[in-house]
Amino acid sequence: MSATAHPTVTVHRRRPRLSATVQHALFAYGLVLPTVLLLLGLVGYPFLYAIVIAFTNRVVGNAGHFVGLANFRYLVQSPNFWASARNTITIVVSSDILKLGIGLGLALLVNQKLPGRGLFRSILMLPWAMPAFVVFLIWRVIYAPIGGGLNLLLHATGLYAGTVDFLGERATAMPSVIAATVWRGFPFWFVSLLAALQTIPAERYEAALVDGANAWQRFRAVTFPGIRQVVVITTLLSSIWTANAFENVWLLTQGGPSDSTMVFPVLAYFGMQTMQLGQAAAVSVAMLPALALLVFAATAVAERGGED
Amino acid sequence: MRRRLIGRAATYAALLFAAALIVFPVYWMATTSLKIPRDILRTPSLWPHSITWNNYAILVADKGFLVAIRNSFVVSATVTLISVAISSLAAYSLARFPTRFRGTIGRLILFAYLTPTSLLFIPLSIIMAQLRLSDSLVGLVLVYLTFSLPLSTWLLRSYFRSVPRELEEQGTIDGLTRLGALLRIVLPLSAPGLAAVSIFTFTGAWNELLLALVLITSPGARTAPLALNFLISSDTLPWGPLMAGAVLSSVPLVLLYFVAQGFMVQGITAGSVKG
Repeated sequence: MSATAHPTVTVHRRRPRLSATVQHALFAYGLVLPTVLLLLGLVGYPFLYAIVIAFTNRVVGNAGHFVGLANFRYLVQSPNFWASARNTITIVVSSDILKLGIGLGLALLVNQKLPGRGLFRSILMLPWAMPAFVVFLIWRVIYAPIGGGLNLLLHATGLYAGTVDFLGERATAMPSVIAATVWRGFPFWFVSLLAALQTIPAERYEAALVDGANAWQRFRAVTFPGIRQVVVITTLLSSIWTANAFENVWLLTQGGPSDSTMVFPVLAYFGMQTMQLGQAAAVSVAMLPALALLVFAATAVAERGGED
Repeated sequence: MRRRLIGRAATYAALLFAAALIVFPVYWMATTSLKIPRDILRTPSLWPHSITWNNYAILVADKGFLVAIRNSFVVSATVTLISVAISSLAAYSLARFPTRFRGTIGRLILFAYLTPTSLLFIPLSIIMAQLRLSDSLVGLVLVYLTFSLPLSTWLLRSYFRSVPRELEEQGTIDGLTRLGALLRIVLPLSAPGLAAVSIFTFTGAWNELLLALVLITSPGARTAPLALNFLISSDTLPWGPLMAGAVLSSVPLVLLYFVAQGFMVQGITAGSVKG
């Protein structure tokens, strides 16, 4: 009797505990389920689908069939693919450097105890509050050769008397795209770096001063270690976003003149407009290795930061 | 003392120069939208000689821009409501329940957040065509979840982590279910975080151009960025109406941003103080 009674007692004691754990887990998974399903359907599936399409000769209205690496062979032989690669890298690297320099410089200035710093902070964040498409449309008007604000400013200040077609000439188109991209993008760096600077305790600067460190040594020993993590994650995120930005080039130059500002997202869009879906998808997929590297690095850094 | 004064003067000079570079394009947008055509092209100048509201009238009457603004508003508000509602559940689960796959799910959401639209727009356009949802605002809402859902989940997860656990435990002892604790205790306490996330989500949808360009074909379904995009693809570039559209598209966002700026900072610092 006691041998049969024993299990029933333990089962009886265990069942509510076990089912509470299961209930708990079911509840936890039930809450994430809608998000996970939607993201699998809206991001995961299209992501894999893009890769599949890149290996087919799909056009609009015809699913096509598997063609192996034909699309990629076509791309590496086309000059606008290499122009896009060069231009995408140029925009990402130069605008990252400029955004870091300008964002850090301004963050260091605003981090001082100054009357009016709140006002300056609000003004400096204005480009971030404006929609990107509005920003690039404004710059398109400013860069215009006739009636554009920049030419008028150059005349008014006596810096240059002629007329520059900033977006229409090969020499000036790329720097103009980069300048507008930096104008829109630096506030994100400015805000992130300012927040990081404000977490550095004032005592560390005082200690460095007592040790007789000059301004550069204080920056090296105190400021830089305090912002290094933020610089790394901001560089990674900004590179991913800038490499995939469409609005800046599309609204300013559409890649012109003659591919001098063509970038991957715009090239892929043109491929789609000409109905060549396989080739267009191959353009996006060609970016994937570099992009994956940035994404994995960003994920690793973000997760390390999140555990602290 | 003298060196400090010089340093301070240099700081203000640099800040004023930066502020001027920020303000000039905004000034250019506003004045161009108020200029008569002659002052824009024939005798251009840095200051408007006479002010007209005609550009706004042209934009609204001839180009049907108010429909585009309305479409943008409907799409952005719907995307925000859906993604905040769904992602707050997921974020709460990821913040509170140490399940076996929590790390994996968190990483997948981060990957989804970093997967660029430039990679997804071709397959998404095919899928939306198969679902017969291209050229509709419903389809646009659906594809905008690709970036709004991961973003809001990610932000809300870190926000919920900063809400003290004790209050929920007190709530469940007082007879609330876990879901009740989420709805009655956690969400109200997270109001500043929810507001901040809603603003980010709304802004992201309001600003989107590429997917709208790919999916929307009929003029009646155009969003604000799309309507302005078609304004510059016409033969003569209508700078005045274009800048009027730029003003109308940015005023709601800039207002939202300045009203919410203090509130958002307050929400973020309150969160970190609690955590």
